[in-house]
Amino acid sequence: MALTGDLKTFNFVDIFQVIAKDKKSGILLVEWKDITVAYYVKDGEILFARPVDRIFRVYTDRDFDLLLDKLRISKETLSRTVERFLISRLDIKEGVFSFTPGFIKYGSDYSIAYPIEKLIVLASRNLTPEEVSRKISDEMLTFEVLDGVQEKLKRAEITPEEEKVFSLVNGERTVFDIRRESGLDNLTVDRALYAFLALGVIRRKKKEKKQKPSIALDLLMKIIERIREL
Amino acid sequence: MKTIKKIKIVVAGPFAAGKTQFINTVSEIKTVKTERKTQTAEEKSVKEYTTVAMDFGKIRIDDEHELYLFGTPGQSRFDFMWEILGEGALGIIILVDSTDPSTFHEARRIINFFQSRFPVPMVVGANKQDLPNAWSPEDVATALDIGEEEGIPVLPVSAIDKESVKNTLLQLLNIIREELLSS
Repeated sequence: MALTGDLKTFNFVDIFQVIAKDKKSGILLVEWKDITVAYYVKDGEILFARPVDRIFRVYTDRDFDLLLDKLRISKETLSRTVERFLISRLDIKEGVFSFTPGFIKYGSDYSIAYPIEKLIVLASRNLTPEEVSRKISDEMLTFEVLDGVQEKLKRAEITPEEEKVFSLVNGERTVFDIRRESGLDNLTVDRALYAFLALGVIRRKKKEKKQKPSIALDLLMKIIERIREL
Repeated sequence: MKTIKKIKIVVAGPFAAGKTQFINTVSEIKTVKTERKTQTAEEKSVKEYTTVAMDFGKIRIDDEHELYLFGTPGQSRFDFMWEILGEGALGIIILVDSTDPSTFHEARRIINFFQSRFPVPMVVGANKQDLPNAWSPEDVATALDIGEEEGIPVLPVSAIDKESVKNTLLQLLNIIREELLSS
């Protein structure tokens, strides 16, 4: 099932988050205003990018290694295509995307110069205030750090400023506190928090307060039975 | 005359997520709608009429009880109604249009809104699974930043299908039952 959307409302950080989550493989196609680019994704990592003049051509080459031979691209130069056709375009917000899972046969042994964690952070640095407000929607939000996230952070290669924001996330401080205590501008803080959420190294802190359901068990069972009968 | 006690479940979600349809599919009465013509060009391109106050449908449980399904308006300019409708709800169903990722962030905002004000059981319905370009419930969960630890199941839903709507309601009711048994 293809995942489709518009970059205006579902940005690259969001797309990379979905791709990284289950280590998806397939082809991400982005139709920009000027060119259409196919991004080849293996186990949640973007290996290769190439502009295509006809979309159907992407789907005629199902063997990745054969495709590289055909295009005369060596495995060592894959990262350059990612730099040229992805990283340099992370700030362009007009385009539509579709991700088709599966489909292409990959070999093994490809070096990854830009791990998906790093791409998430790079993309987050281009988010607009409007975009960050979609997830960092309230300055009273509180986040907590998840366990075992050091490897992800290392791969993300965060800046000292982002590191500072991360160090302030403790399940107690609100977004307001982190903005104030970091001494950084709000947008830098919010972009970093957005990226950390997408990386899965922090999460929203759940409110402990839970309301006991205000219904008797026998009545609830009656409702369940009634719904089943409908 | 006996007073009928009303039990309330709220169906919330972004604009055009399929809330009215969801209620319509299982309600025993013709869903009571408060619709007006859509205002903005963007809204008009999606549908002609939209809920402005609430929708409600009803399922009779026995001589003394009725289950009310209240649908909230999708646009955040009506969020004062979310507050009113959420009060006293037994549980909350958040519907998301799985074919429209542009509404996912709004859906998360709505989840946050209800979570912070009404800490009652909640499920998310990844609606429109009958359409070919629907995102899977797992991908919708990732896009909404819903981790397992949050305890909010993201279920496949097709609001036009009665069994699918019933399944969503039953999943929510079973969570409520588990919470009752554990408290």
